[in-house]
Amino acid sequence: MAEPASSRLLSLEGIHKHFGGIVAVDGVDFDLGHGEVHALVGENGAGKSTLMKVAVGFHQPDEGRVEVDGEPVAFRSTRDAEAAGIAIIPQELDQFPHLSVAENLAVGRARPRRRWGGIDWDALAETARRQLGELGLDLDVTAPLGLLSAANRQVVAIARALAGDARVVVMDEPTAALSERETERLFAIITDLSSRGVGVVYISHRLEEVFRIADRITVLRDGHHVRTATTSELDTDELVRLMVGRPLGEQVPRSDRSVGDTALELRGLTRAGAFADIDLVLRRGEVLGLAGLIGAGRTEVAQAMFGVAPADSGDILLDGEAVSIRSPEEAMRRGIAYVPEERRSQGLVLPFSIRANISLSSLERLSRGGLINRRAERELAERSATALAIRGAELGAPAAHLSGGNQQKVVLSKALAREPGILLFDEPTRGVDVGAKAEIARLIDRLAADGNAVLVISSELEEVLALADRVAVMREGRVVGELAGTEATQERVMALATGSAKPDDEAAPAQAQP
Amino acid sequence: MTRERLLGREAVLLGVLVVVMLGMSLLSDQFLTLGNLLRTSRFFVEIGLIALGMTLVIITAGIDLSVGSALALVSVTIGFSYAAGAPLALAILLGLLVGLAGGCFNGVMVTRLDLHPLVVTLGTFALFRGLAFGVSDADAVSTYPEWFAYFGQFYLGPVPGQLFVFIAAITAVWLLLARTRFGRYVYAIGANEEAARFSGVPVRRVKVTIYTITGALVALAAVIYTSRVSSARADFGQGLELDVIAAVVLGGASIRGGVGTIPGTVLGVLTIAVLRNGLQLAGVATTWQLFLLGVLLIAAVFVNEFFRRRDA
Amino acid sequence: MSAATVAEPAARRGPSPLRRWLLRPEAPAVLFLLAVVVLFGALTDNFLRLANLQQILIQVSTVAIIALAVNQLIIAGEIDISMGSSLGLCAVAVGTVAVATGGLILPLLTGVAVGALIGATNGLLVTVARVPAIIVTLGMLYALRGVIFFVTGGASVSGIPMDARLVGRERLFGVGYSVWLLLALLLATWFVSRHTTWGRDVYAVGGNQAAARLAGLPIARTRFLGFVGVGVFTGLAALVYVGRTGGVQTSAGTGLELEVIAAVVLGGTSIAGGRGSVLSPVVGAVLVSAISTGMVLLRVPATWQSAVLGALILLAISFDGIRRRQVRGAA
Repeated sequence: MAEPASSRLLSLEGIHKHFGGIVAVDGVDFDLGHGEVHALVGENGAGKSTLMKVAVGFHQPDEGRVEVDGEPVAFRSTRDAEAAGIAIIPQELDQFPHLSVAENLAVGRARPRRRWGGIDWDALAETARRQLGELGLDLDVTAPLGLLSAANRQVVAIARALAGDARVVVMDEPTAALSERETERLFAIITDLSSRGVGVVYISHRLEEVFRIADRITVLRDGHHVRTATTSELDTDELVRLMVGRPLGEQVPRSDRSVGDTALELRGLTRAGAFADIDLVLRRGEVLGLAGLIGAGRTEVAQAMFGVAPADSGDILLDGEAVSIRSPEEAMRRGIAYVPEERRSQGLVLPFSIRANISLSSLERLSRGGLINRRAERELAERSATALAIRGAELGAPAAHLSGGNQQKVVLSKALAREPGILLFDEPTRGVDVGAKAEIARLIDRLAADGNAVLVISSELEEVLALADRVAVMREGRVVGELAGTEATQERVMALATGSAKPDDEAAPAQAQP
Repeated sequence: MTRERLLGREAVLLGVLVVVMLGMSLLSDQFLTLGNLLRTSRFFVEIGLIALGMTLVIITAGIDLSVGSALALVSVTIGFSYAAGAPLALAILLGLLVGLAGGCFNGVMVTRLDLHPLVVTLGTFALFRGLAFGVSDADAVSTYPEWFAYFGQFYLGPVPGQLFVFIAAITAVWLLLARTRFGRYVYAIGANEEAARFSGVPVRRVKVTIYTITGALVALAAVIYTSRVSSARADFGQGLELDVIAAVVLGGASIRGGVGTIPGTVLGVLTIAVLRNGLQLAGVATTWQLFLLGVLLIAAVFVNEFFRRRDA
Repeated sequence: MSAATVAEPAARRGPSPLRRWLLRPEAPAVLFLLAVVVLFGALTDNFLRLANLQQILIQVSTVAIIALAVNQLIIAGEIDISMGSSLGLCAVAVGTVAVATGGLILPLLTGVAVGALIGATNGLLVTVARVPAIIVTLGMLYALRGVIFFVTGGASVSGIPMDARLVGRERLFGVGYSVWLLLALLLATWFVSRHTTWGRDVYAVGGNQAAARLAGLPIARTRFLGFVGVGVFTGLAALVYVGRTGGVQTSAGTGLELEVIAAVVLGGTSIAGGRGSVLSPVVGAVLVSAISTGMVLLRVPATWQSAVLGALILLAISFDGIRRRQVRGAA
């Protein structure tokens, strides 16, 4: 910890990075010592991933210096960074599903060769088995990666990063899809790495993990460096305050809601390979939270309700009547709206104007004889922009020009424009700045108070707990429990989500309740 | 995309067209005469009609390689059902139906089996041509009642009749694309198909409709073509798909989807037509026509892509 | 590890060998081909004769050789549709040099050099100028046909000496040189695909470009070399072409591009990239040729053969579409 600056393993100084008009990282300093575990925390969109992608050469900084062992470096690709001993564990999406597990570990690396020059596939598989074995994973390394579960794919990604004799390992949300046991194994590996002098950058949303594993913590907010401190100097409340800019309790107000009758019910909903036997009830005037780890099947359930990927069996009941929903178009006609998790790929048509994005789901109402009534369209967009305070660009400008929070408001406007009675929100505040986050939370609260049936999926437990009247928890494709009122605490939800629930689990004070 | 920028692109293309035309008139005195220009128009109406449909297809990031074969199939259907004794009006109707069905088949294969349009239309490229050869037995039908000539050989004063058909079709497809809900859906699918689906756009229905419209326009072009050359043969329209795609892409449509306009496509069609006709009048061999066309195509798209990247 | 969850069927053991083979890209085409062979073998006396089987291979050699390289390019996530004109120009080059100098080696080298140059031009325009491949190669399809007219002055190349026609005409151990060449190139492609870094990068780059970038793979170089490969193989195919025809017309190779792509796609390579096998293009090309030959033997009227072929191609493609859906549903 107390090394002189020149012997720092990795040091970033004054890093700036912007994409188009959006500043992702604005003059951030960061450093990492030998054998140190340095946690990087902040809300979604705070710039953590971007900063680390600069460190590993995936992005080139607009300004600022990257130094390794006190020597300035200019990585032009992740390969350069790897050669300098800096590896990143990417998200699960950044892999090759058609290639075998062993090949995924070998892509971009020197492969073992036979004497006559060909690739030694046996040695390659053997190496892969050994690397995965060190992480406690035993599987057929010649099978395509795409056949693996999200958790196993994550372990493969970790194995890949560790294989290159890295001196610095950047872990970007490594436990997002892991069970508790797998997480424990990862922590043991991290401890082992740091005892060998390897520096670890640990990005995570889970603060208890951060407090357990990190030597120091750096907080980013909206692309700015907020504070770097040793772990012992901080506690959870202080850390949250630094991350969101104000104490947590103030975040979400909750109006009086009067819970009404059942709007939508799922009975034994099943889609092979995604989820099974889902029973859920959505009532008018109520927010149902859907919690669980990434890959637990929450998004799949919501998308089945919305007709994106319909279920194989089981029933969806609207007002007590079984209906079949085979496409989003049908779901919308029945008054169901869905705000997808992947905003840029599923929520928005980025080259379209803000106006055309807002009106896209409502064109049937806005046109006569097929011709679009442009004035009605403009009025709809203006109303929405005022109601949700969309700021940052004219309504005729492409949606791509907006910041994350305003883009999300456009997606919300589009969903609300049809005045649906049932709203499904999937990670509604991901990648959104603090101000917009609060606005969106208030909007969801108001929608419930107005008598809509609302489902909220969120990986940020505080958010789910603050918004929801009830929380259903999913694990491995099934609903494993439902908690209401004061039973719904972070500890109990996590215990259910990771499968470590004990029957006499004592309810801790509900942190997120207003 | 913003309106201004698109207009900008079309203005550039218009400039290119004017320069090409001026160049041609320097090479040949006959080129810039009204008579020649109107005569030329007889030869590009067929490509132009199909290009209108292809524009829709390409905006959705699709492609249709089967149009040349479909043209032959429709032509043969008309000719041989007439030769077999059907009244010509019925034969024409049958031809139109075949074109429609062929396009619809492409659309259904693409959407229901989730296959890449390139793969599907490569298959129908072979199938339609094969059917045309089978039906016609590699023969031709070249005698028709006099009134059939109206579709492809009629002049109103100096203006060829099919030019009116083309203008009507341009207007209809332009309105469809620029002013209607359907047109908005077409752009949305091309720019981001997944987001379009999540927004409740009936993606499959729109796509099937687009390929069907293309089939209908091919059928219309086939009627005009058959009438113009007064013959129905299975080897018609070979390589036509490439000319059509070239015209659409030259007109500013992006093969990646989401971008393209009808005015742009019309300008693209005109540029290709002028280039081919003008060079012919100037006595320049096919050699350089093909060479110039190829180079112009790559250059035009390079410029488009360059500006698109710079804007992004 | 939680292996027995709904999200993960049988991960630890992996799929059974049969299931794994069925998941291979070329599996449906191979089964289809077997069915065709059995069917025609049963229906006709001559189909299964060695001479006929060899004839099928000789017929496909030109298309299959080019398809071997185009297959790699498509797996890498790009496409080339300039092969028709490009083969024509290579054939003109081979023919002209053969007439001028005689021999085999010099015409061969010329054809390969011209092909490589065309491929490199395509590759540079795609990777450096960043024009979409389908446009570059469409433009090239026109431009090169123009160059053919220019080089030949519109006349065909004829009187090609027998030395240069060896590959298209002669046999070694009773098997045509063109078949040997095809087999040699198949082996070479297999070796490169399986045992070189470029060969493995082809799959990664085409399968997930973002991930390839993150893994630091040389995306542009991989694709550029893919285009050059198509050019080189087209040059080699030109030698076969010239050998078989003995003369080169200005229209040589017209329409070939679609035959080649059809062979690749029929063989099970995904046009979206990242998925395909070295065998795919050969299986696809042989399938087409086997069906054509079988129809001749069955005396299907010549005018209907191409319709039947088109229908069968569509049928094969549809099977693949349905199979992919089921795999996706199960995985």
